[in-house]
Amino acid sequence: MNDFPWLTIVVVLPISAGSLIFFLPHRGNKVIRWYTICICIIELLLITYTFGYHFQLDDPLIQLTENYKWIHFFDFYWRLGIDGISIGPILLTGFITTLATLAARPVTRDSRLFHFLMLAMYSGQIGPFSSQDLLLFFIMWELELIPVYLLLSIWGGKKRLYSATKFILYTAGASVFLLIGVLGIGLYGSNEPTLNFETSANQSYPVALEIIFYIGFFIAFAVKSPIIPLHTWLPDTHGEAHYSTCMLLAGILLKMGAYGVVRINMQLLPHAHSIFSPWLIIVGTIQIIYAASTSPGQRNLKKRIAYSSVSHMGFIIIGIGSINDTGLNGAILQIISHGFIGAALFFLAGTSYDRIRLVYLEEMGGMAIAIPKIFTTFSILSMASLALPGMSGFVAELIIFFGILTSQKYLLITKIVITFVMAIGMILTPIYSLSMLRQMFYGYKLFNAPNSYFFDSGPRELFVSLSILLPVIAIGIYPDFVFSLSVDKVEAILSNFFIDSFP
Amino acid sequence: MEYTYQYSWIIPFIPLPTPMLIGVGLLLFPTAIKNLRRMWVFPSVLLLSIVMIFSAHIFIQQINNSSIYLSVWSWTINNDFSLEFGYLIDPLTSLMLILITTVGIMVLIYSDNYMSHDQGYLRFFAYMSFSNTSMLGLVTSSNLIQIYFFWELVGMCSYLLIGFWFTRPIAATACQKAFVTNRVGDFGLLLGILGFYWITGSLEFRDLFEIFNNVVDNNEVDFLFVTLCACLLFAGAVAKSAQFPLHVWLPDAMEGPTPISALIHAATMVAAGIFLVARLLPLFIVIPFIMNLIAFIGIITLLLGATLALAQKDIKKGLAYSTMSQLGYMMLALGMGSYRAALFHLITHAYSKALLFLGSGSIIHSMETIVGYSPDKSQNMVLMGGLRKHVPITKTAFLLGTLSLCGIPPLACFWSKDEILSDSWLYSPIFAIIACSTAGLTAFYMFRIYLLTFEGHLNLQFQTYSGKKNSSFYSISLWGKEGQKVIKKNVTLLTLLTMNNNERASFFSKKTYRIDSNLRSMMRPFITISHFGTKNTFSYPQESDNTMLFPMLVLVLFTLFIGFIGIPFFNQFNQEAVDLDILSKWLNPAINLLHPNPNTSVDLYEFISNATFSVSIAFFGILIASFLYKPVYSSLQNLNFFNSFVKSIPKKIKILGEKLLNGIYDWSYNRGYIDVFYAICLTKGIRGLAQLTHFFDKRIIDGITNGVGIASFFVGEGIKYVGGGRISSYLLVYISYVLIFLLIYFLFSFNL
Repeated sequence: MNDFPWLTIVVVLPISAGSLIFFLPHRGNKVIRWYTICICIIELLLITYTFGYHFQLDDPLIQLTENYKWIHFFDFYWRLGIDGISIGPILLTGFITTLATLAARPVTRDSRLFHFLMLAMYSGQIGPFSSQDLLLFFIMWELELIPVYLLLSIWGGKKRLYSATKFILYTAGASVFLLIGVLGIGLYGSNEPTLNFETSANQSYPVALEIIFYIGFFIAFAVKSPIIPLHTWLPDTHGEAHYSTCMLLAGILLKMGAYGVVRINMQLLPHAHSIFSPWLIIVGTIQIIYAASTSPGQRNLKKRIAYSSVSHMGFIIIGIGSINDTGLNGAILQIISHGFIGAALFFLAGTSYDRIRLVYLEEMGGMAIAIPKIFTTFSILSMASLALPGMSGFVAELIIFFGILTSQKYLLITKIVITFVMAIGMILTPIYSLSMLRQMFYGYKLFNAPNSYFFDSGPRELFVSLSILLPVIAIGIYPDFVFSLSVDKVEAILSNFFIDSFP
Repeated sequence: MEYTYQYSWIIPFIPLPTPMLIGVGLLLFPTAIKNLRRMWVFPSVLLLSIVMIFSAHIFIQQINNSSIYLSVWSWTINNDFSLEFGYLIDPLTSLMLILITTVGIMVLIYSDNYMSHDQGYLRFFAYMSFSNTSMLGLVTSSNLIQIYFFWELVGMCSYLLIGFWFTRPIAATACQKAFVTNRVGDFGLLLGILGFYWITGSLEFRDLFEIFNNVVDNNEVDFLFVTLCACLLFAGAVAKSAQFPLHVWLPDAMEGPTPISALIHAATMVAAGIFLVARLLPLFIVIPFIMNLIAFIGIITLLLGATLALAQKDIKKGLAYSTMSQLGYMMLALGMGSYRAALFHLITHAYSKALLFLGSGSIIHSMETIVGYSPDKSQNMVLMGGLRKHVPITKTAFLLGTLSLCGIPPLACFWSKDEILSDSWLYSPIFAIIACSTAGLTAFYMFRIYLLTFEGHLNLQFQTYSGKKNSSFYSISLWGKEGQKVIKKNVTLLTLLTMNNNERASFFSKKTYRIDSNLRSMMRPFITISHFGTKNTFSYPQESDNTMLFPMLVLVLFTLFIGFIGIPFFNQFNQEAVDLDILSKWLNPAINLLHPNPNTSVDLYEFISNATFSVSIAFFGILIASFLYKPVYSSLQNLNFFNSFVKSIPKKIKILGEKLLNGIYDWSYNRGYIDVFYAICLTKGIRGLAQLTHFFDKRIIDGITNGVGIASFFVGEGIKYVGGGRISSYLLVYISYVLIFLLIYFLFSFNL
């Protein structure tokens, strides 16, 4: 049964089914919507089935591997496979993209192209997570940029062209570094180019070269993650994009950067990583504080949420930088957890924007009476975002705290300072998220507009927000759901470090 | 018997179904759930009663043989470290369990009536049951992470409940203030937990204490670091129990519905800080510095709370400052190391203060029908007065609560407060003097509240008399017409009151319109009863319904009799007082620093002398309060004595006294200027920081990017201009370069 190309089907199905949209009969948007949602659900079921039946949790090796030679003359393979680190993000992708497609039902303009792009995104996101070949990783990485650019520049807000251009320039500029790194690793040493992750993982490089590679890859992933000071594309993009696009951006694309750091920087370049990890931690700490203190100054609701996700990405960077078991597990948990929470917050911000048509926070107010259900879910998810216990964010951040604390790499005084500053972020988070809630919902306001009657969220919107909420609470109460996926692989990655760092 | 312990993990989960069902129901099937509205009170009360029976059973077993039961499960599987969940049943836990469930049930029954006209009735019960759940979880937790877990959940419940009436802008800011202030405490708590985890490698209480003692004995760890961690842990308790630097949220928290103020902000949640310190006392006791810090914070808080309570107009805010002051007493007792006294006061204060808050809720409820639903009016003691005649049962209950809090003998708080005061003499005389004088202040401000509320005539009527003239709207004194005469006579003693009125007047003249509009707008969502009944007709406050009176009466019983669990029974014959009281027996393994040998330290003579002293202080406070606030027309005979007393004072001292009173009044009315200070320093600081980083982000980091974009645009334009495709310009450039080249060539060749 293992010969069956499950992963190839998983990767290729959405985009190939998506291209069939153009051949559907012209019967209005309804057909297209239903078709897209069906494809998404089938894909999600397929992913769960594959992982449920063909993936052994206790095996730290790469599983479900597929290896087809694609281009002969420079040894380029279609090489797929998943392991404990990538299984979580793939499931997250399936889940969030399906919900984003469901959330995008109000989109009627050019819905044929829109839904095709959503499905293309689906493939483009699963691709990098499941590829086991450096060049394939790069190609998939680039593939998913184009749909985002189009989604942003066609269905965005008023300043959409500016944001789309900014987005594409930033990410394409970063891709140059990624390409340099990929080619550098591929062409180093042997006569034949080696692009396989597994063979390159066992290879060692001169330290100077490794550092250069590391910086190259890191810049590429830092733009995507984003890590300060390369983050300014994110608020603009999020502020302008349609909320379904925002869900994808916040839920999955940002996580791709963090995944890349774990997958390539940690796994392939361990020496350089142990050299750079103190800097990573410092940058992460600064990022938490910096983004959390920028956030209250934002007038635009979506930009405020965008800065909150920048702040939360700081935790992931710290978790990756504290080279130990606990910290890395925490980082992976935070990847998943923030994927849910960020996506849900953008979804709710978008749905409330649909109703009040106001962008700036100080113009809003007193919406709690008109839309109580959105108020409830928004409150719960803001609480999740400020790491309330019982929600996934708390477990992730707590474990990252423990990770930095038990890390053997740093001195006590550094640990104290880092922990202290990280914890200040904990005070700043409620300030921006609760004042956001207060400005939006609390208080009272007479809506002078003649037809100021709002519909509360309907069953579809309620379904989307609840189905994101459930895993958030489930992980918060029983975090082993995620840990059981990643524990073994994390240990394998870290054992690599300890062999190298203590020769 | 083991079964009770084995199954007691279920305690926090028993009340959980109600909030979950209501929450899910309200989201998915709102109409169906709302039709069942009043039905939901039964499951909440029922489930909490089950918990109460359960904890009563544990309690009885604890009295018979106080054992400690502990059980843990692992929460996360990780090779390096594992988080565990468990429960710990010991005397402290069972005490808190009893307290939470009894007060909780009473408040639930009470709020069925109190909230019956509110649209958010179901939401209220969901929040309330959830806060009970998390409170029960907090007291049964067996390790620090679990404490933190429920600590935050309790804080969230408090946030939701303070912001329950979310259309009020004041409530919106108050709930955010409460959450952020508590988060500052949680920040300390989390860092403290992490620090102790680093020191000992354990999070479970008993292992933690053992390892920690070993570590400190062997001097294996930097003492400064340990002290820092302990201070950080204590910061959590400071925020939750509204101790001095982080107390600002508690008075504002009174924006929430009154039952909540009774349950969360007086009896249970604010006691969580005391609970935490009591739980960690074996840890703190190793570090003398931290014990002194705890006592110091306690004494500052109790004095500050008492002085700030002196001039509050809002009845609930007055009670809130009183809660803060009493929590200060408990903190002081813990800092002195008298564990038993602190817990005793925790119990007695919880019942008395819950009674007082429920009483004030009943008053507010009866006032609301007359003055309208603005907390500025219905909770304003300036408008009350003379309620004795209209709400007799509430008055009796409130009076008993007041007397108890003042420390009048047969009532609950006397026993515990007396114990703390007598312990404080052993600890430090300065602290003892402050604590005793604050006991007098307590009696003063509590009786001020009582007298303003219940004695005299309903001041609201004077408001309606002069309702047409807006200028003199509030200028009539609290004391009625005769009162104005008195004001002329002895201004010194009346400054507190007159200032009160003036402030009121100015406040209203400025903001009347705003409040009115607010009111009207708030009517729509919540209220079904029409307000401003007093515009034309004249009505009196009504006594509340039986559903509200019943819990108050039960709490009256508690207030009367709960003190007896801690009363020492003396054996006169052999002069050796034997501790027969339940509390000591129950808290048997507890720590007591001040009485190394408890059997010999308490003797009858000492007890009586201490008691007489504290009671006389309390009576002194009550006496002054009744001089100042007792309505004149009912006690004219005092006036002569009063005047002669005033006349006998020289003028200079009079003026000085006046200034002093003004100063105290200003201090108290402006909440000790602490809120203002925080607003200026912290809020503005954070806003400034946000603006600054926003500017930095937008202009510098983003500016560089945009600058690069614009620069490349100009470069592109320039190149486009140069490469415009005109042959003549190409030729020009070409020839000019050739000429320059030739020129240079010739120059060089000539030099050669």
